[in-house]
Amino acid sequence: MRLAWAVLAAILASAPLSAGEAPKPTLNAALPDSLFPTNFGGAYRLTDHHGRTRTEADPDGNLQLVFFGYATCEAICTVALPIMSEMAADLAAQGIGVTPIVITVDPEVDTVDSMGPALAAHAPGLLGLTGSADDLAATRALFHVEAEPLFVDPLGQTIYAHGSHIYVMDARGGFLTLLPPVLSTERMVEIVAGYAAG
Amino acid sequence: MRFLIPLLLLAQPLSAQERVQLTGEVIDTWCYFSGVMGGPDSVVGSAHHTCALWCSAGGIPVGLLAPDGQVYMVLKMAGDATTNGGDTNLHVASHTLDVDGMLYRRDGLNYIVVETVTADQDIINATHEDFGVIPGFAIPEDEAAR
Repeated sequence: MRLAWAVLAAILASAPLSAGEAPKPTLNAALPDSLFPTNFGGAYRLTDHHGRTRTEADPDGNLQLVFFGYATCEAICTVALPIMSEMAADLAAQGIGVTPIVITVDPEVDTVDSMGPALAAHAPGLLGLTGSADDLAATRALFHVEAEPLFVDPLGQTIYAHGSHIYVMDARGGFLTLLPPVLSTERMVEIVAGYAAG
Repeated sequence: MRFLIPLLLLAQPLSAQERVQLTGEVIDTWCYFSGVMGGPDSVVGSAHHTCALWCSAGGIPVGLLAPDGQVYMVLKMAGDATTNGGDTNLHVASHTLDVDGMLYRRDGLNYIVVETVTADQDIINATHEDFGVIPGFAIPEDEAAR
């Protein structure tokens, strides 16, 4: 099974083709937005990787990028978390304050002590949130996110399947939009900047 | 009056969702849009099925590729209570489905909540005939030799 994740990691790490090698599909429906089926988010109370209580509201008044995963994930998190880090830096350069957050799906591995170093290694600037299994499950429910254990790897760590959208929330924790992690960083920055501009 | 018209447009509420019936192939949106594994014709169908399974298992959201080239990001699949990351859709990777659901548009993207899969046509896009396995390393050498 480790081989499977090695294959996946190779796929996700593959460099894009240079321009012109193939026609590039675009994600662009030139029609107005419609209402989403439901709102996402709500009140939660977790603990960040500094040991501070963290709710759905950003204490600095920043927009928030919220992702559910874990700091040691070898799959989609290795794509989404660095992208969120890069997005926050790019938006900060535009004067837009954004707090990128990963809410763990594995509180046994992602503890207050372990999350910070892991995130600093591959996604600088991200804030890790953890908590009790019940509190984390309740938070996932607010975002309609699943987290199912897939298997235990040879090192004894449980590998989870989990939702992979990046939720864009306002400073009070209100839902603005969600981003599939297949968009380019530039496009996601553009979308978030649009919401920041109101 | 020149200023009134834009204000009136801004005041309009977001349009409601609409019910649609679509036929589309369940695709691996990471490889399709990133171009990392090749052109769009090679990263769909049977040629890309194994890779699509890896990506889906890894949480990459799946999309429905309609015959007109439009991609509908699957926000929820029938029978799944959560917004999916692809991992719950392994059983339909690369399949062509007839679906009934609700269409939403956000930030230039089409999203669909699939309420009913009215027909599962299985994998009918035989791209392996033209492309083989894309990418080749999706099937490890020792497995391919069996």
